Parts: sequence; structure tokens; C-alpha cells
Amino acid sequence: MAIISLNYAYLERLTGTDRKTILERLPMIGSDIERTFDDHVDVEFFPDRVDLYSTEGVARAMRGFLGIEEGLPEYPVTPSGISFTVDPALRQIRPYLGSAVIRNVHLDEAGIESLMGLQESLHWAIGRGRRKVAIGVHDLDKVRPPFRYIASPRDRRFVPLDFQDELSMEEILEQHPKGRDYAHLVDAFDRFPLIVDADDNVLSFPPIINGELTKVTTETRNILLDCTGTDPKSVRMAASIICTALAEAGATIESVDIDGTPYPDLSPAERIVSVDACRRLIGIDIDAEEMAALLQKMRFGAEPLPDGQVRVLVPPYRADIMHDWDIFEDVAVAYGFDNIDAALPQTFTTGKEHPIAVVENEVRSILTGLGYLEVMPFTLTSERVLYGQMRREVSPDLLRVSKPISEDQSVVRTDILPLLMEILEINCHRELPQRLFATGDIIRGVKTMQSVAAVSIHPGADFSEAYATMDALCRECGLSPEFVESADPAFIEGRRGDVLVNGKKVGVFGEVHPEVLVAFSLEHPVAALELDLRAVPGYPARPGTP
Amino acid sequence: MVDLTLNEKRLLVTLAPMGEGSATAVAAALGTTEEAAVQYAHLCADRGLAVVTRTSAKTYTLTPEGAEYREHGLPERQVLDSFEGSISMKDLQAHPLSRIGIGWLRKKGWIAITKGVAEKTGKAAPGADEVALADPKEGMPGIAELLKRNLVEEHEEVAYRIAITPEGRDLVAGGLDLAEETGTLTREQILSGSWRTANLRRYSLSTPPKRIWPGKSHPYQRIIDEVKGILLDMGFVEMQGEIVLSAFWDFDALFQPQDHPAREMQDTFYLDMKEPLPAGFERVRDMHEHGGTTSSTGWGGVWSTEVPQQCVLRTHTTPFSIRYLIDHPEPPVKAFALGRVYRREAIDPTHTPEFEQLEGIVMDEDVSFRHLLGYLKEFYGRMGFENVRFRPGYFPYTEPSVEPEVWVDGLGWVELGGAGIFREEVTAPWGIETPVLAWGLGISRVAMLKLGLKDLRQLYRSDIDWIRECPVIRKEE
Repeated sequence: MAIISLNYAYLERLTGTDRKTILERLPMIGSDIERTFDDHVDVEFFPDRVDLYSTEGVARAMRGFLGIEEGLPEYPVTPSGISFTVDPALRQIRPYLGSAVIRNVHLDEAGIESLMGLQESLHWAIGRGRRKVAIGVHDLDKVRPPFRYIASPRDRRFVPLDFQDELSMEEILEQHPKGRDYAHLVDAFDRFPLIVDADDNVLSFPPIINGELTKVTTETRNILLDCTGTDPKSVRMAASIICTALAEAGATIESVDIDGTPYPDLSPAERIVSVDACRRLIGIDIDAEEMAALLQKMRFGAEPLPDGQVRVLVPPYRADIMHDWDIFEDVAVAYGFDNIDAALPQTFTTGKEHPIAVVENEVRSILTGLGYLEVMPFTLTSERVLYGQMRREVSPDLLRVSKPISEDQSVVRTDILPLLMEILEINCHRELPQRLFATGDIIRGVKTMQSVAAVSIHPGADFSEAYATMDALCRECGLSPEFVESADPAFIEGRRGDVLVNGKKVGVFGEVHPEVLVAFSLEHPVAALELDLRAVPGYPARPGTP
Repeated sequence: MVDLTLNEKRLLVTLAPMGEGSATAVAAALGTTEEAAVQYAHLCADRGLAVVTRTSAKTYTLTPEGAEYREHGLPERQVLDSFEGSISMKDLQAHPLSRIGIGWLRKKGWIAITKGVAEKTGKAAPGADEVALADPKEGMPGIAELLKRNLVEEHEEVAYRIAITPEGRDLVAGGLDLAEETGTLTREQILSGSWRTANLRRYSLSTPPKRIWPGKSHPYQRIIDEVKGILLDMGFVEMQGEIVLSAFWDFDALFQPQDHPAREMQDTFYLDMKEPLPAGFERVRDMHEHGGTTSSTGWGGVWSTEVPQQCVLRTHTTPFSIRYLIDHPEPPVKAFALGRVYRREAIDPTHTPEFEQLEGIVMDEDVSFRHLLGYLKEFYGRMGFENVRFRPGYFPYTEPSVEPEVWVDGLGWVELGGAGIFREEVTAPWGIETPVLAWGLGISRVAMLKLGLKDLRQLYRSDIDWIRECPVIRKEE
């Protein structure tokens, strides 16, 4: 999520009202106020509303929402006469270019910082780490048009931003911090993207770094914008958002001729939407006029049509409008969620617990009745806990995650008993006896299934206790199993049993092997059991929800 | 003074003629051990019938090193006595005790060293430590130094004296019944009727009972049960499903763009396995690429058929909802799931790589956003959050989206879950044409609020004393 810092003085000036009014209503257009400071506020906006990632964009939206200025903001674009060509050799590398000339810019230090912040947020939110689009702004008066976007040899040298000496583009990838961060985006190519002017001066090495030559300062009056990328839609959106934000701050926008096509196009997109569809989705009773008025508060152009429809003009910076419902949501936001009359439908339905949950609940009540306390250990664990410390062979059914954060959470449990041993270890200083159980999901192979395990630790814990508890659990679960000698190495030989139902092993119990006790730093005997809940009557024969 | 035990009474009777005595003497007169006598005396003291005084005496014994020095003098004394006037440091260092001795000689100021020559200062009167070493006794000023140098060992002997109070005397004077008491009633006493004459020991309520702990379900499970109970009461059917899902179901079917940050390796647990795409995947592909047959533009670009086959540990329970709807296409459908979900997070007090998520859906003719707000109000109200407000929200698979906030005294408005109407891009590929209201909620967050927990880990790696102390019937925080 993007956190945007809004300077109060600038926000108040652009919005045309006081900070209290703005802050009070800001959450209701979809934001979260993170922290307030003396001179600014940090606000989190959703990743779909990239147009709100600048103070200018927030002010534009708030002017509408607060009724100060409604309807579609107009952004006239006149031709600059400047042209830009794109080298066909870039087709396999980074083919798309967007540009604009932005004149009459007066940025102070805070303004430059805000522009850089907007660029960074866009790199993240629509650029996906500069891959889909990367943005550069340049002092136009330091270079001479026309401009060329070319595929350059990798040893081309220029002075990158914030450096004093020339580096080759390959050296930049190794030595410049931005080069190291983004080298993976270009490293595989024989040639690198480069933007140069009529005199072959370097403006930028997109998507890595600009040249020092065209650095934007407080003296800059005219800006050349470049947006390069691999996705034309994202390139267009980034250019629109930067241009309209600077236009809100008082700049004028001029188009650049890119291989014969003027750029940017800041005209709105049109959508004809149904008033009835909106009413049905939101559940509010409004007519076409009211709907149009609400949309204008959200800075759409909106005009009621005679046939129960509204003609909507979507501003060029609204990246989130991809479906009619996206427009209907804005109607609801303008209407105010709190003004919507919340209601429950009258439809009759009956509730039903999942059969697996029913079985788990019964098992819970049996074991708590036997004096056992429930715990809820993690399902992620390690091979060491599941097998090594249990003296067990690693199961071929063990599921490993590809890139664990830590070895301790690198596999999904195939059994629950080892996790209970671990909880006993955590509680080794607590009063005895301790009788614990857990029930829940395990995974064997890729299948999710359920199991229950129980442990009892105290000086008198022994095989007889484990046998008696397993016997009671089976009886209460309606099972009449066969108990046979087990070979499970987690238990002491001659003090362990397998539970067979219809000849199939569904459980194990016994007195835990002293080596296992020592591995879990336990000093008293443990009687333990585990039972596969699939054996219990009532467990659904087929997976999924009936 | 009715609830004195026989032992306490016997102590008072024994003590009355003595008035006062050492615990040893009282124990001998009573015919019991010293510990028992002190214990009875403490119980009498609690009632103001006796006074117990604890005295302790310290004695000292010499360590082998200390004994050696008592005989021959401290190392510094021995070294000092080995020369007259002054001596070169080199020669001084040849003394077998120089390693210990020279340091102390300088510290005590018995010698001054200039230019490699040590000279006696003439100030070398026997110190408090040497006095104490000769015969160590409690209170001597040199003892601390000797303890520090490990030349003596300290032993503490504790003794008790017991005295009867005037109240105790009065009680004895008034006469005490010393007949044998019955503790546990026997079967024989019950059957024979001898219980009628038995002197049944009285027990004091002021002695707290031994704490015993019932078997019970986990406090977090009880909250989960409470939430499930509410949804079952509201007519919802419970869904369950697999932990291992293909990215198709976990992300693509929910219209998460393939380059969405949440899908990255650093946020999701990927598995080294693939699952083939299900029948009908083309409709999901079309939706991503251009919005299919809906008014949507889709995300654009080319939808990879490789990426969605990759398996993950489910990052949410929402995939159950869409699969349940595919299996149950006829409205009305009201269903919920409450299960563990997995995110690639390191464990700390507020993050765990797995946690419980609740998911609820309603598919019904003519339901709208207004009804979603209605369900949310009802649900949160039943959860004990009376005050609910709604803020616009954003989730890739719902539109409109809303973030409900509940009022919690002391915390203010707390964001609790998210909700919305499933986007047409999510439902249309499966022919679902009735609106689907959906909401989700992290239950561990509710548990932290309800149980007043600061550390999520307590839920999964519990201190069992915490579970023991958590009452089944919880006072609301």
C-alpha cells in the first residue's frame, strides 16, 4: 500500500478549504489516515487509486467530494512542435514510449520532493517495480529537440544522476545504487534503452537512471516527460497521471510528436451506464439526474440520457475504472456509505456445520471430558521436529514449501503429535500433570485431512494410560478397532500399539521413547496417541463441502 | 478459635507451662520434629495465639587457602617480610607468592615502586583482614574482604523461638479438647455408625484450596466456535477445503492480475508442484485479457497459462467461495468458511505465517450493497460490536468494496475485515449471474481484542498456564 505525505499548507491552497474539513472527510473517499504531524499528514491510499498518490490528485478529488468544484477536470493540450522517435530495435527490449512537454513549472524543494514521491509510487503501483513503466522528468531547457529513444551499445558513457564522472551503462548497473536495484530489467539484452537529444546528449537510461545533465531543480521552468515500458496501457496511465497532477499545480501541457502521433492524449473515456443496474447493485433509490450529480462530485463528466442511462466521461487519470461497477462504486461513495439504509433480506435458509467440523467438535468434547486441555499448534513446522526428534523415518508424503523464511516453518505437518511434544517442551516448567490435545488439519502428499493427537506427561505416565485413553477415545467415537503391536520408533518397544480399523492402520499410541523425551528436553514419561479422523463414522467419504 | 487442629492445640498446651522456648525444645516436649513444631506455631501465630521469632547466626570456616595463610600470613605479608628496605622488582618477582602478593602490597600501600625498585613505606600494621583471618566471627570488619578473596566460607544457621501470647494462655486455661480427630471418613465409620461419636476435623475456609484444572477447549477455539455459532444461527452453511491450491484458484479465478505484488514469492508460500488448469479456464483467461463478454476492459496483456498452474498454500479462504458457488449455482446460497490461511511472514508478536480467516458469502436474487451492509451490521452486532461504520475499501475481487470498522472502547475505530460484492469478472466465467455478497475477517485479530492479547504467538504456542487461567465464561474486555 502506498503512503502519501500531504503538506497541509499546499493541500489547503490547492483544495481551497481548511485542513480540518479535509481530514474529516478524507477517509470517506477511501483512505486510511496513518499519522498526523504538525505540518503534514501521512495517508494510505488503495493501490487502484494511483491518481491519489500526489497532493494535487488528492486536492482534485476532495474539491469534488466537498462540493467546491465538481465535474470533469479539463486538461487542454497544445502541440509543442517537439518530436521524438523510437528505435525499432527496442521492440524486443522496451518498446513503448510516452512523452509530454510541461511548461510554466514552478517547483520549490517540497514540490520536487512531491513529484519524485509520485514517480516512485507509480513505479511501484503501475510500473510493478519499473518493469511495465518507468518515468523520467527532465529540464527541457538543458537539451535540444528532436529527441531519440534508441537501443544503445552497452558501453555508451554518460554522467548518471547524482554522480560527477562519466560511467559506461554497464558500469552504472554495477556501481550506481539504482543500477544495482534494477539491473535485472535490462541485463539480458545486447543493447540498452537510451534517450538522447539532437546533439547526442544523454537524457536518460530507462528504466535505470536519468542523466545528471537534465536534473530538475527549483530553477526548472519547462519539463520534458518520458515514460518507457513494456505495457502501452501502463505507459499511457503514468503519463496522464504526471501531466494532470502538474497541470493541477498550474502548469500547461503540450504534446510531443512520437513517430507521427501526438502524446499525451488527456481526453476522457466515455461509458454509457444503466441507472437501474446501479440502483440494483447499490440498493439505493436514485434517478438519472441524481446519479449524474453524484458522479460529478467524484469528478466524472456525467449527463443523464433520456432512456434511463447516464453518459459518463472518465478522466484520463482514473486507472481503476475498468467495468461499469467501478463507476457504481463511486456513486455509492458520493452518496455516502453511512447514508445507505442497511437491511437484511428475508430469504429463508438453514445453517449447517461441515461434517468434518462436527467430528472434530465431538472429539474435542471427548478429550476435554477425559481431562485434556486443548492447544492449537502451527501446521507449519520442520523436518527436525516432525521426524528427527521423533526418531521417525521422513515420510514420502511430506510437503515442503519452496522458499521457507526459516527452517522452522519449512514443511506442513503430516502428524500432530510432534507439535504437541514441542508444546510440552515450551511448558516444561509448568505444573504437572499436563494433559494436552490438538485436532486439525494435516497434509499428506497434497491432500488436506484431519487428525487428533493427545499427550500426558507426569511421573506416572505410562503405556497403560495411553492404551486406556486410546480405548476410551475409540469407544466414544463409535469405533471397535483391533489393537496390535506397533513398530513406531517414537515409542518404547513393547509399550506401543497400532489401531486398526478394517485392517487399516488409523492410529498409534504408547509410551514415548526416552530418546524422543530427551530430544524435546522433557524429564518425565509421556503417554501419547494420535488418531486419523477419517476413520471416525460421520467423516465425509468425499472431500469438499456437501 | 474453634477451628484449631489437634496439633495446634497440643502445641499450645505444651507451650503454656514453658511460656517460651527454642523450637528444638518445644519439638522435644511435643514429641515431633522441629519443622513440624514451627509449622504449628506459625498457624497459631496467624491467630495471635503464639509468636514465632526467627534468628539467624553466621559462622565462618577457613577454606584450604585461608587455613594456609592463617599459618604463614597473607601472601602480601609473606612477600613484604622477605626483604628489608628496598628490592628490585625483578628480585621481588622471583618470590613464589609475588603473583598474588605484589598487587596487594601496592593496593594496601605497603610498598612504593619507583623505577623498577620497590621500597617499603613503613606503613604495614596488621589489617582488619588479618585480624579476622586469625579467628573469623560474625560482625568483624575484615570478613567481607576475606569472603571476596575466597579465604573463608560463610554459613548461616537459622533458629526459631516460640512463645505463647496471653490470648494463647487464656485459651489453654479455658480448656482444650485433645481428643483424636478424624480426617477422612472411612467406609467402616459410615457403616458402623461410629461417625456419630467421631471427632470430625474442621477445615478452615481461610486456607485456599488446591487449584485443579479442568480439561477444556482452547480460549481461541471458543472464540472460533462463537463466530461459527453466529453464522450457523444466521443460516449459513459451513465450507471446508484443501490447503494446497493452484494459483489459478487462489489468485486467477479471483481476478488477481498475474503481476499483482501479493502473488510474489516473497508474500506467498509456493510449492514445487503444478496442477493442470481446470475446464473452463479459457473464460477466466478472457476475463483477465479483455473482460470477456462483460463491460470490463480486463487487465490487458497476455494471461500466462503457466503461472496459474503453480501450487501454493492457500493465502485466503475465498477460493472455497468461488468453488462452492460453481457447485451450487442456484440461489439462495449462504455459506461460510473458517480456516487457516498462509502468508510468507516471519513470526513476531503481530505476525504469524498462518492464521484463521473467516469468509462469508450470500448469493441471492435482488441482494445489493445495502444488504451487504445489513449482514455486516448484524454479524458484528452479534459478535458484540454494537457500533459499526463503513469506509470505502479496495479488494481486487470485489466492487464495491467496503472496510467495516467497529468501535472498541479504549482503542477507537478498529478496522475489522473487508467486504464487497464479487466483481462480475469473478462470477461471470462460471455463469453466476446472481449478485454475490462476500466478506472476510481475520479471526486472530478478533481473538486479540476479545482476549486482550498483545502477542499472537500465544494462540499457537501457548503457555498452558494461560489456557488454564482463561475462564470458559469470559468477562467481556
